[in-house]
Amino acid sequence: MIRVENVTKRFGNVVAVDSVSFAIGAGEIVGFLGKNGAGKSTLLKMLCTWLPPTRGTITVAGRDAVREPLAVRSAVGYLPEHNALYEGMKVDRFLRFAGRLRGLDGARYAARRDWVVEHCGLEAVFSRWIHECSKGYRQRIGLAAALLHDPPVLILDEPTHGLDALQVAAFRDFIRGLRSGRAILFSSHVLAEVTSISQRLLIINDGVLLADAPVADLRAQAAARGRDLDEAVLDLVRTAGGRP
Amino acid sequence: MSAATPGARCGFLAGARAIAGRELAAYLDSRIAYVYTIAFVLLANLVFMNGFFLTGTVDMTAFFELMPWLLPVFLPAVAMRLWAEERRTRTIELLLTMPIRPLQAVLGKYAAALALFLLSLAGTLPIPVMLVFLGDPDVGLIASGYLGVLLCGAMFLALGMFVSALASDQIVAFVVAALVSSLFVLTGWDAFVAVADGRWPWLALGTRIYEWFSLMPHFEACVRGVIGLSSLVYLGGLSLLFLWANALALERKRA
Repeated sequence: MIRVENVTKRFGNVVAVDSVSFAIGAGEIVGFLGKNGAGKSTLLKMLCTWLPPTRGTITVAGRDAVREPLAVRSAVGYLPEHNALYEGMKVDRFLRFAGRLRGLDGARYAARRDWVVEHCGLEAVFSRWIHECSKGYRQRIGLAAALLHDPPVLILDEPTHGLDALQVAAFRDFIRGLRSGRAILFSSHVLAEVTSISQRLLIINDGVLLADAPVADLRAQAAARGRDLDEAVLDLVRTAGGRP
Repeated sequence: MSAATPGARCGFLAGARAIAGRELAAYLDSRIAYVYTIAFVLLANLVFMNGFFLTGTVDMTAFFELMPWLLPVFLPAVAMRLWAEERRTRTIELLLTMPIRPLQAVLGKYAAALALFLLSLAGTLPIPVMLVFLGDPDVGLIASGYLGVLLCGAMFLALGMFVSALASDQIVAFVVAALVSSLFVLTGWDAFVAVADGRWPWLALGTRIYEWFSLMPHFEACVRGVIGLSSLVYLGGLSLLFLWANALALERKRA
């Protein structure tokens, strides 16, 4: 579903992402771990075609992100890091707007809207202005918009940022329920959060992919060295010469 | 629940229409649209009425002569928020990661701004209606004058929107767009042409700028009831150029 090959992104002289490669198949939930500024968001922005790679190829749902950006955007549900929403819109109007841009209308839109409203728990705020909604609800609205077109690829940038413990737990359950037939990549700088949802971990530091392995393997390797997973990840970053 | 195949995309016009609807609603939800419309309508009507009662002539020439001086101030105020606001609130990332082309977004926003301008212009319609009741004005002349205003306004909006796509914030967008729009008008001002011509008579710089760059000869032709192909190409072409440059600027800004 997602294939990233030798992707590099430069901003002037700064290398934000350096020759990163990985692939994610359908049915996988992959956690993308790294400190702030490690290059997570830059890579996710390239996956959803917001930024073009300087070098390398990105293929999403079989389409090239540079040559066929519209096809890639159609296949991707994206929740950006800051989850900026149109404050001056009501939730129902915002979802209708997102649906129309996704080519959803009539009964098809109504069915998908009902699904996201129910599964994202938006009934209570459906007719409210977005600026009146709490941080938790705003994350759910962003997620609802990302899921509206039933995308085969879901990219979530720091999706639990600003949520309380109960909301985070509910979010984890919800994401697990979306796994079937879908490739889900979500980023976080909190290890516990990543390992609680995903079976596989990508660890990035200073734009370089340090690890791409199942969480169970990483845990086993850490245990063999008498370390826990947290310490093993920190060791990995230190060995790579980065600041944890 | 399992994922479906990659989602459908909206048609070109349907996407532009969705964005136009959202943008128009955003205008109507904001105070600036009302302030802008009321100020424009009041000022245009007041200035016309003042001249009308002094001269007593049943035509709208004075009204149309005022427009090129009003529009470079009012229309950048309409256009300034179109992209600068999207960037400030970071919704630009949300919008442009939807399966739409930048040109769809540009045209949608442009259509909304144009609709607001048309609404303001409609507020001046009591003037021709009053003239028809009071005398026998040349309706064709009035219609071509309005067409001139519309074409000029469309060009200033496209320019203002392009500047908004480049500028860091709304105020900068407003000031730059107002200055550039004013240049198109000021270069048609008699005093400017005379000074520029007088400075380098052999070059006839003022006249050349007036003929090649200024909007005024085209606008004045419309007010005189002469809608030539060159005016349509000039005003329509510049609007299209700025809209295309706007879409290009959005693409370039991503990189």
